[in-house]
Amino acid sequence: MSGRSRLLGLLCLAAAVLGGCGAGDAPSSGVGLTATRDFGGRTLIELERAKVSGSDTVMRMLDRNATVAKRFGGGFVQDINGVAGGRSGGRPVDWFFYVNGVESEKGAASIDVHGGDRVWWDHHDWGVTPHIPAVVGSYPEPFLHGRDGRRLPVRVECADPRAGPCARVAEELIERGVPAGRSSLSRSPADETLRVLVGPWKRLRGRDLEADNLDSGPRASGVFARFDAAGTKLVVLDERGRPARTLGAGSGLVAATRAEQRQPVWYVTGTDGAGAAAAARAFDESVLADRFALAISGDLPVRVPLVSGRKP
Amino acid sequence: MIAAYERRASPLHAARAPVAAAYAIALVSSVLLFEHPLALVALAIAILGAGVLAGAGRSLARAALFAIPFAIAIALINPLVVREGLTVVLRLGELGALGKIDVTAEALVFGAILGLRALLVMLAGGALLAATVDADEVLQRFRRISAHSALTAALAVRLVPVLGRDARRLADARRCRPNAAARPGPTERLQIVRAVATGALDRALDVAATLEVRGYATPAAVRGARRLREPWSRHDLAFAASALGLVALALGARLSGVATFEAYPRTLAPVGAAEIVLALALVIVALLPFADRRGVQR
Repeated sequence: MSGRSRLLGLLCLAAAVLGGCGAGDAPSSGVGLTATRDFGGRTLIELERAKVSGSDTVMRMLDRNATVAKRFGGGFVQDINGVAGGRSGGRPVDWFFYVNGVESEKGAASIDVHGGDRVWWDHHDWGVTPHIPAVVGSYPEPFLHGRDGRRLPVRVECADPRAGPCARVAEELIERGVPAGRSSLSRSPADETLRVLVGPWKRLRGRDLEADNLDSGPRASGVFARFDAAGTKLVVLDERGRPARTLGAGSGLVAATRAEQRQPVWYVTGTDGAGAAAAARAFDESVLADRFALAISGDLPVRVPLVSGRKP
Repeated sequence: MIAAYERRASPLHAARAPVAAAYAIALVSSVLLFEHPLALVALAIAILGAGVLAGAGRSLARAALFAIPFAIAIALINPLVVREGLTVVLRLGELGALGKIDVTAEALVFGAILGLRALLVMLAGGALLAATVDADEVLQRFRRISAHSALTAALAVRLVPVLGRDARRLADARRCRPNAAARPGPTERLQIVRAVATGALDRALDVAATLEVRGYATPAAVRGARRLREPWSRHDLAFAASALGLVALALGARLSGVATFEAYPRTLAPVGAAEIVLALALVIVALLPFADRRGVQR
């Protein structure tokens, strides 16, 4: 091998190595960062365009934008801006994060952020469940940017595809630039499709695993609200899983959950047609922002879970 | 390799053993109190300087041969296990159970600092201490506080080299056997360790019997402990002051916020006049007692 080709080879090797090095370019679209307490009840950090570098993980991005104390070799967040995990009032509290409204199976140090992602850290009581698989407070995510930097197909499934709530939800998504298909309720959900199920709960319940989880309570679904056996009353729970408020006819619910290995399913539902219509009207970014789930009573939003001592 | 004490004509050897030990411990404490690279470099100069000026340079060099690979291992492992730092220099992707590995400049820097600290602790707390502190004298003085503890420590200190020599003899004997390899393999090493461990128990029984015969179990032996009352020499005073000075500098710097170091998320190691003065002070305070060489031939 001549000296020149050896030099060329070395340059190629250097280029290959350096290709995997460095901070990289920042994502083209902004990455949002939110930090809240008590299931989104109090905002600590709200950044539309957080400081981020191309190779950032969720953890590194948080490090860039907040004062963070970590444990276990930097893999676990203990404290953000002075709000620490541990025990509060005898209850376990810690920091949890959601990327585009979806809980991750991996740690924050193992997940890359992508352009357009919304990262939400929340400090809350996990005595009832440490797993809340999906939340609605990052809307229009995950519909707009999907998961892991990959957009997902979206389908709006309705109890009555011609009814107003169904059209309202589908049009809202399309206005946001989400190409959403509309159909009647399906019994063969595709695992890779984001589904929005619209209609009274009586029509939606028992149709799939996610609906069964919602009926089973927050331990199974991560949603701190449940309908009664007849589906005519909606019980909003507090952070300890205790009934905090019972809503009657005309009440709605917007909630998201996820079964293992499947994409999140959103429910825009209610105790009856009027409740589902109220939920469809609340299917809006400004109403859903920073909420784990949302109940609607008399067209007024009710925070879910209804944290003790806080206004709805 | 265990460095052995040998009385040399140096100010540190001329100081009484507890003072020399306190001096080495003060160096170790200072190393553990600092993370700032400038302070650690100053302490490295102080430790190496003390070793050379005390005539223990070779002992330190031998210890360094074992300590440097250990320090390098720490420096290399840290960036692989720590998920901190903002400046990614190498992305290794998903590595099995370790998960996603991003090597950051901050983790590399802190790994190097941890490695340097480990190296300095081993040099100051191991080689320098062993080469310049007469263990017998320390134990003799310690006997006044607790005779039984001193006796246990003295026996342990004496038995370690004896067991080491046993192991060497067994290894030599193994090599004399026909078809034996020049170096023992893992199985043969285990056999030697087992033989030495068994021998240690036998020796312990022999020592216990001998001590009993010599009357160590009687209270009179305890009461008869000889008290050493020597006036403090200039070297005792100098090294005691140096040890106190080192600890005072380290604690003072920590309390006053001089030479602070932040490893993550970004490496912050401010270098200003205060840090430079501190580094110089550490070197001077550590090495000044060596300037007076009067009476080193004790």
